[in-house]
Amino acid sequence: MIAFTLNGGDVSLEIDPQTPLLWALRDNLRLTGTKFGCGMGLCGACTVHLDGAAVRSCSLPLAAVAGKAVTTIEGLGGEHPLQRAWVEHNVPQCGYCQSGQIMSAAALLAANPAPDEASIRQAMAGNLCRCGTYHKVQRAILSVATVAHWEPAVEGEA
Amino acid sequence: MNLTRRQFIRNVSVAGGALTLGFQLTGCSEEPLLLGSETDFRPNAFLRIDTDGTVTLQIPKAEMGQGIVTGMVTLVAEELELDPAAIRYEMAPVHSAFADPEMRLQITGGSASIRVYYDILRQVGASARETLVVAAMNQTGLARDALQASNGIVISSNRGGVRIPYGELVPEARTLPAVTGVMLKPASELKLIGRYEQRVDAEVKSNGTAQFGIDIAPEGCLTAVLLRCPWFDGAVESFDAAAASGMPGVAGVFATEHGVAVVADGYWPARQAAAKVNVRFTPPLDGMRDSAAITAAMAAALDGDDFASVRDEPGTGPEDGTLVQARYEVPFLAHAPMEPLNATCRLTAGGCEVWVGTQAPDVARDAASRVLGVPREAVVIHNQFLGGGFGRRAAADNVAEVVAIARELERPVKLVWSREDDIRHDWYRPAMAGQIQARVGAGGDVSHWRHRIVGPSINQQVLPKLAGTMLPQWVPAGATALAGKLAAGKDFASVEGAKELPYNFAGINVEYHNLPVPVPLGYWRSVGHSHTAFVVESFVDELAHSAGLCPLAFRLRYLAEDSRERRVLDAVAEAANWGKAAPGRFQGLAVHASFHSVVAEVVEISLEDGKPRLEHVYCAVDCGQVINPDIVRDQMIGGIVFALSAALYGEITLKDGAVEQGNYHDYPVLRQNEVPPMTVVLLDSDAPPTGVGEPGTPPAAPALANALFAATGVRQRRLPLRLS
Repeated sequence: MIAFTLNGGDVSLEIDPQTPLLWALRDNLRLTGTKFGCGMGLCGACTVHLDGAAVRSCSLPLAAVAGKAVTTIEGLGGEHPLQRAWVEHNVPQCGYCQSGQIMSAAALLAANPAPDEASIRQAMAGNLCRCGTYHKVQRAILSVATVAHWEPAVEGEA
Repeated sequence: MNLTRRQFIRNVSVAGGALTLGFQLTGCSEEPLLLGSETDFRPNAFLRIDTDGTVTLQIPKAEMGQGIVTGMVTLVAEELELDPAAIRYEMAPVHSAFADPEMRLQITGGSASIRVYYDILRQVGASARETLVVAAMNQTGLARDALQASNGIVISSNRGGVRIPYGELVPEARTLPAVTGVMLKPASELKLIGRYEQRVDAEVKSNGTAQFGIDIAPEGCLTAVLLRCPWFDGAVESFDAAAASGMPGVAGVFATEHGVAVVADGYWPARQAAAKVNVRFTPPLDGMRDSAAITAAMAAALDGDDFASVRDEPGTGPEDGTLVQARYEVPFLAHAPMEPLNATCRLTAGGCEVWVGTQAPDVARDAASRVLGVPREAVVIHNQFLGGGFGRRAAADNVAEVVAIARELERPVKLVWSREDDIRHDWYRPAMAGQIQARVGAGGDVSHWRHRIVGPSINQQVLPKLAGTMLPQWVPAGATALAGKLAAGKDFASVEGAKELPYNFAGINVEYHNLPVPVPLGYWRSVGHSHTAFVVESFVDELAHSAGLCPLAFRLRYLAEDSRERRVLDAVAEAANWGKAAPGRFQGLAVHASFHSVVAEVVEISLEDGKPRLEHVYCAVDCGQVINPDIVRDQMIGGIVFALSAALYGEITLKDGAVEQGNYHDYPVLRQNEVPPMTVVLLDSDAPPTGVGEPGTPPAAPALANALFAATGVRQRRLPLRLS
């Protein structure tokens, strides 16, 4: 059994500990905001936070999250400044990669509350978007840089 | 053609207490769309207004990021006097009422959605508004002139007068004949069209709740993965599932007509078990099994003389002047949408339900019904948000696959493709080759343009499949195959964009040779334009340099005074400061018309240790009346990013009949740190709206190739471009 904190709540799963976190979230916990894109950590669609750092959940075995805190797009709660900026700037097109984009951006801002354009471009290079929303991703992040420091949810659904 | 003349609102019907407005589009004997209709026709409802005032719009097109939900909601909201954000939307079920009026299929493609629905959906909104106002007139005894609709309420113009919310008017309105043929607002009164810049689906796509096909899981749903033959003409010969069958969570391993299905209680256990299955496939057939063989066959065809003419305007004047001639090549391309293909199926009594994000729900329904051998009406398609389409999701191979798997199971099942499945089993943009020759006389006069195109016909493969959906189900397969054959010789998808060369050169000849290949082909954002624009606009650049003229001046010289090409060229040249690039910057230009729009682009690069670096892309578009300026800019930029990804990296190659690439490391696409700033200019136009989803794509590759020539003096005639 593997126990960890998910979006502020305790969860435990009795499944193959080698199961990537992505599939545990999607198939076992039915949190589908985190997306499958490549299965190799190449596209960033599956990005979540592990103890506050951005990780690719498609390549992270469940065993590696035991006792740690996982935050998914659902855990941001919808009112995170980045999420408001995403809506304000109409960032999404198809929307499929955007959970991963937002989670990467949130981790970036947590580590560096005032990134410049160059560091945003570098930090977000691991998140692919086939629709080409890159400029708006940049703009949305810049718009909230330094605005707010976000605290992870203390309560969340498991 | 004015669609409002052909399509008209016939009635108002009662459905579950709601006012429904529909269109009579076709005359076939299909079941009525909505239960509760009291009338003798199918209402084909787009719009429903509930007594609580909730307005719900059926979206007849697929939302794959192009913003069609926002666009359609905006058109209705404009005439219905509502905030677009207040309108609920649902993906329409399969019904002939929702078939594209031109294509006759419920398919999203050809950048057609807003163009063909512009008048229809405004009329839907206007008719509903006027019917509600009539209801208010009946209730209040006031005259039409004394009432107006505003923000979901019918109000009277006198002080302290009546204010009746739409919902309260529904009981009256649904008993009335719909007001039809309503005069649409004049341009001067438009409040949303051309001005509204929000996206109504931004919220759900920013908080993780937007539901894509892959997110669907009906009660008790299993997950399947499929082991397909790596080469396209093979099938399962035998398989050994001994090691896989007993693995934890595995519910079944069995062969279907599409491959060996491995079914488990989740994706991971299914994928783990699949790795333990040994499959033998039937050996590959002889034929063009490697990219090199296909390239050689295309070159040989270009050397030959077996071509069908698609445009023949004989040259005038003597064949003198310098003969300029060049050959170009483009590769097979995958779509690689971010959401891997998937579909979910639950068997029902006599049929099935399918959940899938599809560009063509009726094609999906047809595919499912054929697998089960049931009438189409026994299949229900629940369309979802598409995690990217780009043409890939117009095919229903994933739907046929999941239904064949579900047929063997007692529980619903979701088929999930891996990224490798996606890259290796796409319906590819075909590899193509082209050769153009022309004569450049003294003073730069161009004559005797001859463009020969060689490559496989997409339509030869795809049209028989679509014809199967368009025709009644009893039409035999042979008849639909014939349709494809007839389409192949002069395949529009292979020559579009070349055939319509806009330059008035003295003599234009365009010819096509269909070269079938054993590779599945499909529509890839901008289809034929994706390669013809590269060839034509690169060669025009070559001609300009041969004539010693500026590429912009050269193009303008051969364009009609009032042409849309000229307008966008002028606009992009101004935005890019054409001809006055900063030191160390080099510009390339291209212009191309597609899907009734015209786009010009300038790509600006620099050289860093001899290696080109993208600095800026400028774009000017004439797409008629703009609905949502922000979305049009997004579509231009997205189309450019898509094209530059392909121009710089995109190449699918075959070895022993199988695709060599498999994921984003060997089929890379542009990343955040590689994309340069972009500027998009929207030209003012009061013409009806034209396409925006695809027209941004074609000019980008030639503009980049032309910039590379400006920077290096080396002409690159093959995609992807070699940058070092």
